Amino acid sequence: MRLADVRVEQRNRVVVASVEGEIDLSNADELGTSLATQMTNDALGLAIDLSGVRYMDSAGIQVVYELRERLRNRGQKLRLVVPADCLVARTLELVNASETLGIVDTADAAVAALGSSEGVAQ
Amino acid sequence: MSADSEKNANPSAGKGHIFLGTGSDAPIEPAPEQLARVYRLNDPALLELPLDSLLDELLVRVKEILEVDTVAILLIDEEGEMLIARAAKGLEEEVELGVRIPIGGGFAGRIAAERMPIFIGDVDLADVLNPLLREKGIRSMLGVPLVAEAELLGVLHVGTLTPRTFTNDDAAMLQLAAGQVAPAIQRAALFEALETEHRRAVALQRSLLPERVPEIVGVPVAARYFPARDEVGGDWYDVIELAQGRVAIAIGDVVGHGVRAAALMGQLRTALRAYALEDYSPGQALERLDRLLQSIRGRGMATAAHATFDPDNGKLHFASAGHPPPLVIAPGEEPRLIETAPAAPLGALPYSTYTDDEITLAEGEIFVLYTDGLVEVRGEAIDAGFERLIETVRGAATPEQACRQLVRELVPREGAADDIAFVALQREPVTDKLLLRLPASPSVLVQVRRALRRWLRAYDVASEKVDFITLACGEACANAIEHAYSPATAFFELEAKASNGTFTFAVRDLGQWRPPRGENRGRGLTIMESVMDGVDVNSTSNGTEVLMRMGAPA
Repeated sequence: MRLADVRVEQRNRVVVASVEGEIDLSNADELGTSLATQMTNDALGLAIDLSGVRYMDSAGIQVVYELRERLRNRGQKLRLVVPADCLVARTLELVNASETLGIVDTADAAVAALGSSEGVAQ
Repeated sequence: MSADSEKNANPSAGKGHIFLGTGSDAPIEPAPEQLARVYRLNDPALLELPLDSLLDELLVRVKEILEVDTVAILLIDEEGEMLIARAAKGLEEEVELGVRIPIGGGFAGRIAAERMPIFIGDVDLADVLNPLLREKGIRSMLGVPLVAEAELLGVLHVGTLTPRTFTNDDAAMLQLAAGQVAPAIQRAALFEALETEHRRAVALQRSLLPERVPEIVGVPVAARYFPARDEVGGDWYDVIELAQGRVAIAIGDVVGHGVRAAALMGQLRTALRAYALEDYSPGQALERLDRLLQSIRGRGMATAAHATFDPDNGKLHFASAGHPPPLVIAPGEEPRLIETAPAAPLGALPYSTYTDDEITLAEGEIFVLYTDGLVEVRGEAIDAGFERLIETVRGAATPEQACRQLVRELVPREGAADDIAFVALQREPVTDKLLLRLPASPSVLVQVRRALRRWLRAYDVASEKVDFITLACGEACANAIEHAYSPATAFFELEAKASNGTFTFAVRDLGQWRPPRGENRGRGLTIMESVMDGVDVNSTSNGTEVLMRMGAPA
């Protein structure tokens, strides 16, 4: 069984990647690589929707940090979508990553924050 | 058209058929200088060669002895409709291109159809179907049928680039060569067919069964397959890891033997696996499998049983398609057969339905599926087989132990008359100590989490706490895996203990504790420390032990 699945869509020049399942040492790196290759040059940013993630360990958090760095170098931004009170939210809090990683609680909010002004107006 | 042109082209032989009959009545009176030639074709050493070398060597000799430019052997195909070029000299392309001549058509086809030697003194292009012969510019041809025990095997023919009248002696010599090679071809073909069928069947069978049973943390599983003494059959078993840590097992028995049964078995096993992975219930999966089997051309029949098991609550769903009843081995009790809803075998009746039964396995209980080869003995009532089965597995404490007892008592050493398969899984008993010893591979982490959650829930730990403990232990295990000396062979272990409301967790590896590298490992340690009430790291030259405590110190 695959531990996690990813669905990717473009909304207002924002790449929204919805992850479902669990993220740990066994799949974090390939997940990061897969997300990085989905980023087109004209995308303004990447929203990783972790609403469907039941578990994420420090290897997953590390990959998010690395992705953020990689995108920053290309002038693109990253937002994490994490509903309050889920295990992932609490895990991020344990390592003080909630604030630094810019967490929002819905994909719409992430698209609005990352998207072009036309996109926001819609 | 060919008959006329042939007549014209063959002035010396009237109707174009040559002087000889089909075989033994051909008079061979070799002149002294012929003796050596005869011997070269009759050479007993030729018969020791494998078929390809024999054909090769014989053609070389025929070409030299008859002083011809081309020589070729075409063999009849399995359907008996076409001649296929098998070996050639001076005409090698014929084999490379896989030239096929219909029986009855062209030069070679007519020899095969009439089982008579044919000589063409001056080849008319209309006579020849094979474009290669035309391209080569062959002028004269002589061919004889290859016959063994009245069975037509093919055609042997020679040709020359300059016009030539083949003599009786030439024809006799060619017949001699044909007579020499025909039995060898027949033997080789028979042997090849048998050998290939058996080898293919065995190889197929092997490739179609699981290479090994997956190791699933917290769900002990074991299985065995034994081919029948003489033939491969259509038995199969399967163990399938489903979403959320659930596990499916399946067993089946295709009616019949040999390659066909094995091939159908492979199709059914794969299809059932696919349905199981799509989250169909056992009954739904069997129903789909039945419809699939009905749609397969030249379909067969099969019995099958299929179960899905959720180790979190012990619930087991199963369905059966005319298969022998499952067996449950409970600790300290008499093993019992589970009644299944009566249902037709797969492929037996249109619109069969298969219903799901649900049972809950108690801790320690083992659920066994098997094929009838295990209980059926010819000339014996089936009840005796079931009694023997129950007797055999009594007292088995694990699936592996149950399998061993079955192998020892019920599988004949010399092989059984029918093939035998069985597969067993267990709801693992919860004890106050959980000990997992696992290969240092990241892929086991998810299984560690599932086993740990299950263990903690058995102690009624609140779900939020279960999540955090799992997270902290997951970090410690990930650390151990990353620090393993040699990932291919190394192991690590997690030991969890419960005592008076306090839980302790020890994660041990055989590598050196490395100070946290970068922020990543630092975060892992941070997680452990914030979740647990105590974290100690003991590093020795033999390895590292991370000790964690949740609750008051013991």
